[in-house]
Amino acid sequence: MKRDKVINRALSIFFTILSLAWIYPVFMIALNSFKKATAISTTTAFDLLTPETFNGLANYMHALNEQGFASAFMYSLIITVTSVVLILVCCSMCAWYVVRVNSKISNFFYYLFVFSMVVPFQMLMFTLSNLADRIGFNTPFNICFIYLGFGAGLAVFMFAGFVKNIPLEIEEAAMIDGCNPVQVFFKIVLPIMKPTYLSVGILETMWVWNDYLLPYLTLDSTKYKTIPILIQYFRGGYGHVELGPMMACIMMVVVPIVVMYILCQKYIIDGVVAGAVKG
Amino acid sequence: MAEIVLKHVQKVYPNTESKKKSFFGKKKKTEEKKHNLKVTEDGVLAVEDFNLTVHDQEFVVLVGPSGCGKSTTMRMVAGLEDITSGDVFIDGKRVNDVAPKDRDIAMVFQSYALYPNMTVYENMAFTLELKKVPKDEIDRKVRSAAEILGITEYLDRKPKALSGGQRQRVAIGRAIVRDPKVFLMDEPLSNLDAKLRNQMRAELIKLRHEIKGTFIYVTHDQTEAMTLGDRIVVMKDGVVQQIATPQEVFNHPANIFVAGFIGVPQMNFFDAQLVRSGNGFTVKTEDMNVALAPETCAQLALNWDDGNVKEITAGVRPEQILLADKGEEGALQGTVEVTELMGSTEHVHVTAPDGQFVLIIPVVDLEAKGALKAGDTIWFKFEKNATHLFDKVSGKNLI
Repeated sequence: MKRDKVINRALSIFFTILSLAWIYPVFMIALNSFKKATAISTTTAFDLLTPETFNGLANYMHALNEQGFASAFMYSLIITVTSVVLILVCCSMCAWYVVRVNSKISNFFYYLFVFSMVVPFQMLMFTLSNLADRIGFNTPFNICFIYLGFGAGLAVFMFAGFVKNIPLEIEEAAMIDGCNPVQVFFKIVLPIMKPTYLSVGILETMWVWNDYLLPYLTLDSTKYKTIPILIQYFRGGYGHVELGPMMACIMMVVVPIVVMYILCQKYIIDGVVAGAVKG
Repeated sequence: MAEIVLKHVQKVYPNTESKKKSFFGKKKKTEEKKHNLKVTEDGVLAVEDFNLTVHDQEFVVLVGPSGCGKSTTMRMVAGLEDITSGDVFIDGKRVNDVAPKDRDIAMVFQSYALYPNMTVYENMAFTLELKKVPKDEIDRKVRSAAEILGITEYLDRKPKALSGGQRQRVAIGRAIVRDPKVFLMDEPLSNLDAKLRNQMRAELIKLRHEIKGTFIYVTHDQTEAMTLGDRIVVMKDGVVQQIATPQEVFNHPANIFVAGFIGVPQMNFFDAQLVRSGNGFTVKTEDMNVALAPETCAQLALNWDDGNVKEITAGVRPEQILLADKGEEGALQGTVEVTELMGSTEHVHVTAPDGQFVLIIPVVDLEAKGALKAGDTIWFKFEKNATHLFDKVSGKNLI
């Protein structure tokens, strides 16, 4: 017992320090986003705020007024919403079908989906962006189909894990009660899977919202910029970097997603566990 | 109004299915159940040549041990399972290829299968809403069903806030509201505790007379089968063993399996010889010599082939064994192994030279003769005409 206590305490200390290491950069960004440009330099970046260096919300105003911020925000929003909705709708139906049909072919596809999680994005990003360019999937309005492909692995895996836990009798009862397969899915299975929708939705939202590489490679960057790309553009030419507004911009992008994560983390853990362990 | 006819119905699970499942390391319930069943070239034979006519407003119980194909048979009637060969008719209409929703049936599942996202009211109203029944009529039907089942006060609750018995009532309510031609019940009481099960069984009997439907009921519990059914279908390994009224099944079991399956504690079996002498027959063992009644003899004589002696398995129900006095005619001697007091009766396990016997002795009798304990020597005899005779090879009842 005593030994357990000691180990627990040591672990708590270790993980506290570790979490500080993760929080530290975010804290630094938050701190510097309120500083005057002159106060952000290699020597002063780590100083705490003083009345002299405090810049109020000026950096935030600058970032908001930056050319393209509003459109970047809109594009990010469009891409995130369309991609996540598409992933949720298609993958939940697909997972349900794969689990319930349970034939050789459907099993093959299930393992194919799971396998797709193993393939790193970097392996196929150039061929993919080239292909996307050729077939015109390079606008914020249809890039969601590419996200669907990349998000399907995890989403199908998680949904399938959950569907396996839904007793088949419930669906059979619905069939006897008068549902056709489509009604069984939308009236019975979908409401039961709500928690999984939430957790898959949150995971995919965080991924798509924060993603830099895929939109950077596929989107026509002269016309369309998402927020992560825009942040990169705060680095102007000739090594000039507007650090204050850049930090403010990062904060504005990070805060909504962090708040959403904190509010919904219970569902994320539930969903991941349902998929991974009980499946 | 609703008659169900099953003609030569068979169910074969293809072999590929079991192979595939083992390949992915999954073992499904259906597969585990299959091990006693016949395996043919096409696959595993789960139900073999099933013939039954369920008359209008009849209550038929399918009973048998786990994996005997009773649930599969019911699921074929429901349309949840494909029929490999044979036909199912509901009300004269062949329904083999009719979707479950179009068969006008209602089914109650062992696991209740309530929709967890809906309240009790919504659960019961769901099927009517799908049929686009007017709202006020739905309300009236749901409330009257809830009234019958005593669940009116729970209508606003979600299933997870209900106890097992209440959930089962909701499941039954969901079946009642739609006024189906046929009620199918797949072990509806198996998930309940013993006390609740007895209570619900009594309620089912009551309900059955109130709603006047045609019922097919699946259970592995022979008490449920005996008390609920107008007729019982006893199944084993996918094959029907006997279809008869509960009384008939109990008094004249078709074979040794039925005899052993129906009745608690089960029938006592022992090896014996059936000896013919002229028109009379006697059951003989080392220390027993029981002459059979003339009418039994007449029946035996009809099917008798050559020879005077036949090896048989004889059976006597525990409640048809009486305590006897030492030296009484036909009395057997045995040693008490275990006694189990059940309240008004005592189950006495006895070892005799002919085998193991279980006796059910009323406690009143024991009070007169003094309590029995392990190691005691007792004498017992069979009631007149209590002996069932089964062919040793085929297991068929000879009478």
